Amino acid sequence: MSLAELTLSPGEAALLNVFPPTEAGDAARVHLRAAGLPNRRVEAFKWTDLRAALAEGIPQADGSAGLIPECLKDALVLDFAPEGFGLEGDKDQGLIIETEDSLELEGAGPLAMIAAGFAPRAVVLRVTQRQSRPIVLRRHPGAPMRIRLELEAGTQLTLIDTALATAGLSTGLMEIEIGAGAELVRYSLQNGDARAIDLANAEVSVASEGRYQAISLMFGGKLARAETHVTLAGEGASCLIQGAYLLSGTTHADMTTKVMHTSPNGQTRELFKGAVQDRARSVFQGKILVERAAQKTDARQNHHALMLSEGAEIDAKPELEIYADDVQCAHGNTIGALDDQALFYMRQRGIPEAQAKSLLVEAFVTEVFDAIELEGVRNWFSSMARAWLEVSSS
Amino acid sequence: MLNINNLHVEVGGTSIIKGLTLCVPAGEVHAIMGPNGAGKSTLSYALTGREGYEVVGGTATLNGDDLLELAPEERAAKGLFLSFQYPLEIPGVPTLTFLRTALNAQRKARGEGEISVPDFMKLSRDVAKKLGVTPDMMKRPLNVGFSGGEKKRMEIYQMALLDPRFMILDETDSGLDIDALKVVSEGVNALRGPDKGMLVITHYQRLLDHIKPDRVHVLAGGRIVDSGGPELALALEADGYDRYKEAA
Repeated sequence: MSLAELTLSPGEAALLNVFPPTEAGDAARVHLRAAGLPNRRVEAFKWTDLRAALAEGIPQADGSAGLIPECLKDALVLDFAPEGFGLEGDKDQGLIIETEDSLELEGAGPLAMIAAGFAPRAVVLRVTQRQSRPIVLRRHPGAPMRIRLELEAGTQLTLIDTALATAGLSTGLMEIEIGAGAELVRYSLQNGDARAIDLANAEVSVASEGRYQAISLMFGGKLARAETHVTLAGEGASCLIQGAYLLSGTTHADMTTKVMHTSPNGQTRELFKGAVQDRARSVFQGKILVERAAQKTDARQNHHALMLSEGAEIDAKPELEIYADDVQCAHGNTIGALDDQALFYMRQRGIPEAQAKSLLVEAFVTEVFDAIELEGVRNWFSSMARAWLEVSSS
Repeated sequence: MLNINNLHVEVGGTSIIKGLTLCVPAGEVHAIMGPNGAGKSTLSYALTGREGYEVVGGTATLNGDDLLELAPEERAAKGLFLSFQYPLEIPGVPTLTFLRTALNAQRKARGEGEISVPDFMKLSRDVAKKLGVTPDMMKRPLNVGFSGGEKKRMEIYQMALLDPRFMILDETDSGLDIDALKVVSEGVNALRGPDKGMLVITHYQRLLDHIKPDRVHVLAGGRIVDSGGPELALALEADGYDRYKEAA
């Protein structure tokens, strides 16, 4: 039996039908027929089995795209719905928005391939001047999103992307090119429930002295995976990738990052913190690769997680691969429970146990948000975290 | 006020407190002295309800309320406060947030309304001034990066803010230099009152020069083996605990 005759699962068969008749759609169909959906036999997906999550087909989309918080009322909002792409709000000078029906996809992994295949077209954003107005990208329930973002040298943009479906399969593919000395600041929020599958993929390339800064908050879903590949291609390029996650019930959230240093004097800062309870599962896979040419690289990666119940699961795979000899690289990974002594101390002061736990978890996780420069967004993320804690501790 | 009768406490299956009886009436300050390992800290943890300190016999009541039936936070709401020998650091929780949460939780448990933010700010500033607690200390996460002395001052600051009815001070003098000891002692003395009680646990007489006890008890081998007036502390300072070894 050849690969072409692979037996397809109901989810795989359903996907074949939803890919539109585009070049990317055709490519995704060919890939899917040959290799199937990524599953636990594939190393990069050993803890996040997409084939199993889609075993019963694609869940019916449900929920809303979510409201735009007050702090982002001046933002330009790009909506990605199953019916198509929409735009709302004022546009600053120096921002060009186009759509492209066929855009080549280079060297991407299976998630990017699926997302590209799913999206009927790509929205291309070109930033030619510094943008003071943030851009919000909303992935509606069941919708595909494909964005190509080019920041010309010296420009700056703040991007907020959200995926808040309660059910359905939504995908997001972002291909990002950050020019010399340019900076992209990205804040991501994902929230789903036990019927939502969200696959987000960012392929980022950063030129010399450019910067990619991404801070995320994930609550997981039936399966939520945020995959980020960053290539620090130019000298002195840098990235900061931080994420917080709070998972309960049977939700699953996967944060997979790969940062490649290919030029000298690059800097990477990664910090992921989360708490997992009930039967939820978090996956952190973080790889930093330093090529021989990338001397004087300064890279640090940290992942720290709290296990709040016995049945919860946290899988972590931190990896450093270094071929240059003059670098500073470090990583740290801890998984533990809440500090009993601190809990007793707080209760002795009169704080009930559930509230004491909430305060400790909040303090632990929200460290990730300290790097958010927009105060409104920082408060938004913190209040989302607090709301989760109030529900989960009651 | 505080009545402990024939209390037995085990830690990890080992008997530590073995039939302790003690009564501290309202308005009095009692000191408990004793050698290392006598069970002083075990007593303070058993009274405040720390997990792992299992009361296997006897009773302990505060103003008639059975303490042993209550969760630690419920005991706190009844007015029981422990100044820890080793105060914990709580990273990420600003001191003032922590204290306002604690104060409001206690008020709620007692059926009182929440204190308003302006009232709380005023209260916290007034108390801080008296105890030499700086605005910087109040803004930082609780006890994080504090010296031993600062932590002890912060304990007394919390005590003054929460205004408990019965206070247990566990080795409050350790880690304090003479000047800090004076500030802390003045703070403690200001909290004495006709309807309040205090148990001062200490290894050394030094603290009792500043916080004058009404009664001094010697704890050895898990029991009170001697009681007397303040002069007993001076005798212990001179002679040590050797003569209680047999009693233990």
